[in-house]
Amino acid sequence: MSSGKIADKTVLKNLGFCGFAINSNTSCVDVKDGRIVRIRPLHLDESYTKEELNYYYLEKDGHVFEPGFKTLIPPFSIAYKNRAYSGNRVPSPLIRVDWDPKGERNPQNRGISKYRKISWDEALEIISDEIKRIHDEYGNHSIYCQAEGHGEGKVASGAHGCPQEMLAYCGGSTIQARQPDSWDGWYWGAKHMWGMEPLGQCTFANGTFRDITQNGDAVLFWGCDPETTTWGWNGQQPSRMCFWFNEIGVKSIYVCPDVNYGAACHADKWIPVLPNTDAALQLAIAYVWLTEDTYDKEYIATHAVGFEWFEQYVLGDLDGEPKTPKWAEGKCGVPSWEIKAFARYWAKHNVSTAHSNGGGFIRGAFAHEPARLEVALHGMQGIGGPGKHQIKFIEWTMLGMLSMSPLPEPVFVPSNEAAYHGWDLAGEEPNRHIIKTLIPQAILNPPISWYGHGICTYPREDQFFKFQFPREGEERLHMIWADAPCWSTCWNGGNIYEEALRHESIEFVLVQHPWMENDTVFADIILPVKTVFECSDITTDSLAGQFPLYYVEDVAIDPVGEARSDAEIVADIAGALERFGGKYEGLRNKFMRGMTHEETIRKAFDESGIPEDFTWEDLMEKKFWAGPVNPDWENTPAGLIAFHDDPESNKLQTPSGKIEYYSSTLARFFPDDDVRGPYPKWIEETEEHKERISSERAKDYPFLLVTNHPRWRVHAQMDDVPWFREIETCKVKGPDGYMYEPIWVNPVDAEKLGLANGDIARLFNERGSVLGGVRVTERIMPGALYQDHGARIDSIVAGTGGLDRGGANNLICPNATTSKNAAGEVTNSFLVGIEKVDVKALAEQYPEQFGRAYDDVNGLLAKAYIED
Amino acid sequence: MGKVFVFNYNRCNGCRGCQVACKDEHCDQAWPPYAEAQPIIGQFWMKVQDRERGKVPWVKVTYEHTWCNHCEKCALIEIAPDAVYRRDDGLVIIDPEKAKGIEGLVEACPFNAVYWNEGLGLAQKCTGCAHLLDNGWEVPRCVDACATEALRFMDAEEAKAIGAEPSELGKAIGSKIWYLNVPKRFVVGTLVDLAEDEVVIGAKVELLAADGTLVAELETDDFGDFKFDQVDPAVYTIRLISPNKTIEVDADCSSEDLYVGVIDASA
Repeated sequence: MSSGKIADKTVLKNLGFCGFAINSNTSCVDVKDGRIVRIRPLHLDESYTKEELNYYYLEKDGHVFEPGFKTLIPPFSIAYKNRAYSGNRVPSPLIRVDWDPKGERNPQNRGISKYRKISWDEALEIISDEIKRIHDEYGNHSIYCQAEGHGEGKVASGAHGCPQEMLAYCGGSTIQARQPDSWDGWYWGAKHMWGMEPLGQCTFANGTFRDITQNGDAVLFWGCDPETTTWGWNGQQPSRMCFWFNEIGVKSIYVCPDVNYGAACHADKWIPVLPNTDAALQLAIAYVWLTEDTYDKEYIATHAVGFEWFEQYVLGDLDGEPKTPKWAEGKCGVPSWEIKAFARYWAKHNVSTAHSNGGGFIRGAFAHEPARLEVALHGMQGIGGPGKHQIKFIEWTMLGMLSMSPLPEPVFVPSNEAAYHGWDLAGEEPNRHIIKTLIPQAILNPPISWYGHGICTYPREDQFFKFQFPREGEERLHMIWADAPCWSTCWNGGNIYEEALRHESIEFVLVQHPWMENDTVFADIILPVKTVFECSDITTDSLAGQFPLYYVEDVAIDPVGEARSDAEIVADIAGALERFGGKYEGLRNKFMRGMTHEETIRKAFDESGIPEDFTWEDLMEKKFWAGPVNPDWENTPAGLIAFHDDPESNKLQTPSGKIEYYSSTLARFFPDDDVRGPYPKWIEETEEHKERISSERAKDYPFLLVTNHPRWRVHAQMDDVPWFREIETCKVKGPDGYMYEPIWVNPVDAEKLGLANGDIARLFNERGSVLGGVRVTERIMPGALYQDHGARIDSIVAGTGGLDRGGANNLICPNATTSKNAAGEVTNSFLVGIEKVDVKALAEQYPEQFGRAYDDVNGLLAKAYIED
Repeated sequence: MGKVFVFNYNRCNGCRGCQVACKDEHCDQAWPPYAEAQPIIGQFWMKVQDRERGKVPWVKVTYEHTWCNHCEKCALIEIAPDAVYRRDDGLVIIDPEKAKGIEGLVEACPFNAVYWNEGLGLAQKCTGCAHLLDNGWEVPRCVDACATEALRFMDAEEAKAIGAEPSELGKAIGSKIWYLNVPKRFVVGTLVDLAEDEVVIGAKVELLAADGTLVAELETDDFGDFKFDQVDPAVYTIRLISPNKTIEVDADCSSEDLYVGVIDASA
């Protein structure tokens, strides 16, 4: 007996979600009869031998770690065809029914009124007319390009931000800065202490995985989850590394309020700490070491400056409050006896800290403090010594920096810069930029000012420069052009952003996106975009922690509906603008850089840096290029060992070249800043942030909410994938059949509150409410609640004080930045109340919103927003 | 018996790669002669479920997997020998033509691995991706998708050599699913001298069976913690011998894992 054909063709696709032309998750996409039949890992032995790539074996006590020879793709990639065929796809160009560019624009109805279909020709004419009008009436910089960060890893076919590239050819636009949001605490805090440009952590990571294997006793997974965020960026190598530490007996200690998915399967010990109170715990650890004389005084003498300030603060000499374990217990919820045991364990062993982005540790108010305090603790135990490192389970070889790889590092990583139609990371003329956290204020209350470009690649010194928008004599914003928008589901204070989107000063909102989701439904015109399956492109897989890969991505399937690629859309708009002549002359060709799409792809290969003995013909024949790891990986100096051994010859990127427990530059530039002061400390609350259980607000909103990056999405993406929605930890089915975003409640709190599994509850504060489905679980400590961030917005009442059915908790997180001179986001660990709701009563109150087109497969459908 | 599946509990991170790959292969796609299409949602030919264990601050999640065991003594074949068959490689197939209308197949499976497709009037389940194995694949989709080597497909001899074995029921009926590191129970707690506000390190801790025999013993660690892992479900007594006093604590882990809490060793 035999079965029929299992595929007609196979194309390679990067199905990672970092974007910025640095990709991962290389997958084989099998196509049959014009449809995707399966998505599976690539086995490198199809074209390469292990010897060619310096395949390695890391050994410890008879155990062996191997990098693996098939790609380690996450479920996101395997399930991704559902995104192509989702009922949530934008079918055609759409225009909001009550937006008339020649009459009433009704900005107040954005997010409320529906859409009707229009042709591409009609859409291009309206859009080009509007751009011309805005340029003439207000100037170039009244157009704001809302280029969002992460998403499909397209390169030539139009990465996020390609509208700004076209507008730069006719005078520029205003762009939201690519904020260091994944590293806010590190960027705004730790950089002032130990450099580590540009992110503030883990710049020197080579050799650390090997060295921890050989010399480490324990790894502290501090507020991080190596089993969620890492999936979208790296795939599953982080999981294999964590299992390796389990296998060889390197103790995995998780310090976080929740049993995150890493702790669930890897933790040898969990130390529950109340959300965003890590600074108190860290200070008490320092107190134990100082009072018991168990820190490396010699290292401090030779590797640090200003330690006496920190020492005096910890001992209470500066503020009369010794930071004892008992003091910390009241803040962070960790018993003082456990803090002491933890501090003594750390002092006696070779301990590293681990991070994976996405947890609450450095995304709360005053995040620069816990980040700096981690550096302070590392300094006291001699970081860089054997088994003493900071290791990151994500962003390996980020920004092309081979030094950021903790695993045996690749010899070389190819670049796609030559083909990249994406975000302007420089923020230079003719463009203007606005730091992303302040966009709502820039729209609602201009002018605004802040310190630092707020662009993730900028050096420490940039934080001392003040910026303003709009500049003197220039106009405020009047048009938003967004691609893949998800500001309100991913940033600080989504409800305020919804108000900005509906503000009367904004005359035109243009969105291009494959799916009808989140900010998209606040647009005046929506343009349908192809998914990665419908485009051809060229890509680098450099983040996976195996072997760097490079390949052409062929078209897998025909466009769904009337979709075009982002680059095609921008080129078509450029073409429509050409009829106005002048600065628009030849605009399409300028944007295309004088090349066809195919020529652009070929140019990327020619300039990729791949050795010349590997030709384009080789690429076509082998299907992909794979690069080797350093054959001498066993001798790569580990982490900060060079600084550890000889700090005078191997300086850190700080003014003194040493760890600055007292930052003289922060003291000089911000003498009045007592929140991000010259040395790190505990901040109880400020005028902007009253998010402590000790705060007055806690009487009304008594719980601290943990809002990690989601397990079953990448930020706000993939909330419509049916095979995730039916997983028990992804959604909770309400009595109305709607799939609600889970809220984790500890049984102790659930009993007090009268909440049971499956109840639908409202999380609320004065900024608004979001709904969720209750899961009573031991996976969250008492006093804290947990809900993944990034659920798809299903707005019942938009704006401040509003109500969201989807559970997009960014809508109700704080609006203010990390602190007044550090414009990071605050999206985790904030106060909420919780109460059970009657969804049937709500449905009667809001029949139209509760009656939106919805199905059990994808949830909300695009047609919910489109007139019949 | 050809190849067997080996599931290693200690290597699973619960990612659902296997569950999702199975759906990617079979939902809305028929692979005759082995299977009709699976509905887009609702069936789980490879099903993963979270089992939360313990209480704050000792909480772990074990991921339980359920799919067809491809048994030698398959109950489905016994009740419908014309509609269900076992291939030479041991994979049990519900013939999608001949099995139409036989609802009893769903109830017959002792592992709850068979689903009823209302629209087709057909019992459906894992085929072991027989259509792929026929086309040169060495492993089914679920195994190919596993990034952590938790799920493997190997010769029975090799599985035996690495210590894998079926469950007790599986042994009795010739299951093709074998296991490594099947979780038992943990009993855990922390010894603290609350008066002194210090954990007690290095105290001897004994786990005693109901008849008083010593099952296991260890010393509290640097955190004052004691953890007996992989003990059989039973009612035990924990005897803690601290410098100040000896304490006995009841420890019933017969139905679930047990965190006995903070034990006060104050004088």
